[in-house]
Amino acid sequence: MKTERNELVQVAKSLKTQGYSYLVKITAVDYEKYLDVLYFLRNMPAGKDEVLEVQIDPADAWVPTLMGEFEAADWYERELFEMFGIEVKGRSMERLLLEKWNGTGAPLRKNFTWNAPYETEGS
Amino acid sequence: MAITRINIGPVHPSTHGVIRLVADIDGDTVVNLEPHIGFLHRGVEKLVETRMYMQSPPYMEKLDYVAPMSYDEAYVAAVEKAMGVEVKERAMWVRTILLELQRIASHLLWLGTMANDVGQFFTVFMWCFKDRDLILRLLEEASGARMFYVNMRIGGLIRDLPPGFDDRARETLNYMEKRIGEYEDFLEKNPIFIERMRGVGVMNRDKAIELGVTGPVLRGSGVSYDVRKDNPYYVYDKLNFEPQARSEGDCFARYKVRMLEMRESIKLVKDALSKMPGGDALGMQVRLILPSAKNREVTLSREMPRGECMMYMVADPQKPYRLSIRSPSFINLAALNEIAKGCRTADIFAIMGSLDLVMGDADR
Repeated sequence: MKTERNELVQVAKSLKTQGYSYLVKITAVDYEKYLDVLYFLRNMPAGKDEVLEVQIDPADAWVPTLMGEFEAADWYERELFEMFGIEVKGRSMERLLLEKWNGTGAPLRKNFTWNAPYETEGS
Repeated sequence: MAITRINIGPVHPSTHGVIRLVADIDGDTVVNLEPHIGFLHRGVEKLVETRMYMQSPPYMEKLDYVAPMSYDEAYVAAVEKAMGVEVKERAMWVRTILLELQRIASHLLWLGTMANDVGQFFTVFMWCFKDRDLILRLLEEASGARMFYVNMRIGGLIRDLPPGFDDRARETLNYMEKRIGEYEDFLEKNPIFIERMRGVGVMNRDKAIELGVTGPVLRGSGVSYDVRKDNPYYVYDKLNFEPQARSEGDCFARYKVRMLEMRESIKLVKDALSKMPGGDALGMQVRLILPSAKNREVTLSREMPRGECMMYMVADPQKPYRLSIRSPSFINLAALNEIAKGCRTADIFAIMGSLDLVMGDADR
């Protein structure tokens, strides 16, 4: 199901009231012209899955947070920020989750080039 | 009282892989527990974008090195779905048998190490590793390798089961059934083990769904969701088994779910061995892979020993354009902070043991 990022929280909320209360995964795909952010939701008793698809501009990459609706979104959103450079508005991210490097760029974007040495993580 | 911050790890004997925990404790009560992960992050999702389809299964296997067969199978199944290839009838049965044997082997490793974590030093560990080797021997017979199998091919397997596999598998499984009873006797009549597990790290049903945990952790909290039953693949709908769930939501419930699952897996394999048809199980040798345009995006769920894995693949000719892996350990670990809040410091390890984390799987 395609949706706009401005309506995302609203759509997720209404799906949650319809029984889609389990967040399976948040991920993204870089199609170079645009970024596709995907939210996999599940209605467990009915055994139905729903995918929310948000297309965003790579130059203005941000999505609203779904932490208010699904606590499970926490680490997936941090991964989204780290791997795709997509800013998640409405929540804090104190540190990187997976990567321990001081470079710039988002590794899972198609135009990524390696530009930094590894460094150990601070406290 | 003042809050004390203690560092645990990066390497701790009770973790499979490398993880660092930063615990804020008030007296002996955990206030906040922050897992620092990424030590085993190898960028597998990026790596597979640069390699041809059938070069990737070895990478997939090293994600979850405790249950490599399940990742191998999930990845190959995703490629098959993208190509629109039907798996051969016998191959489906053989794959089911191998996956269930892998589940038993993985749960045995978990049981041994978890018993270590809660103070049953090395008795159960030694038993489990000895018995796990019997299962690994069966998998070795079937695939030719002891730990990293790379056994799947498009449409089937690299080789069929060897002659006499049925009898040897039955013999091993009968022995395993007896042994699981012995483990349960040993652990559940042990007051220390019960004290460390029962009522510790409680997560109720709603919280489990909210946190998105999966697999035995979810079923330990009373949600009977099992991909094998609710969204069956291969021949699981033709086989006789029940998904196991417990309602207590504590460490003991998660332990019990896995013990019951091992028994169910034994039942499943025996059932599959008796119903398995003859014929050909060999896969094709594929040099050029052209996914059909209508299947460009593939979503596929599998019930792995640690929980549900979802593969989301955007397929291109020859190479995947994008592969996104929903790894069960990642999301179960994300719940650790919520579960551990309010527990005692020593309970962190009982809880981590009961979550059955493999860091290679969490970090990818």
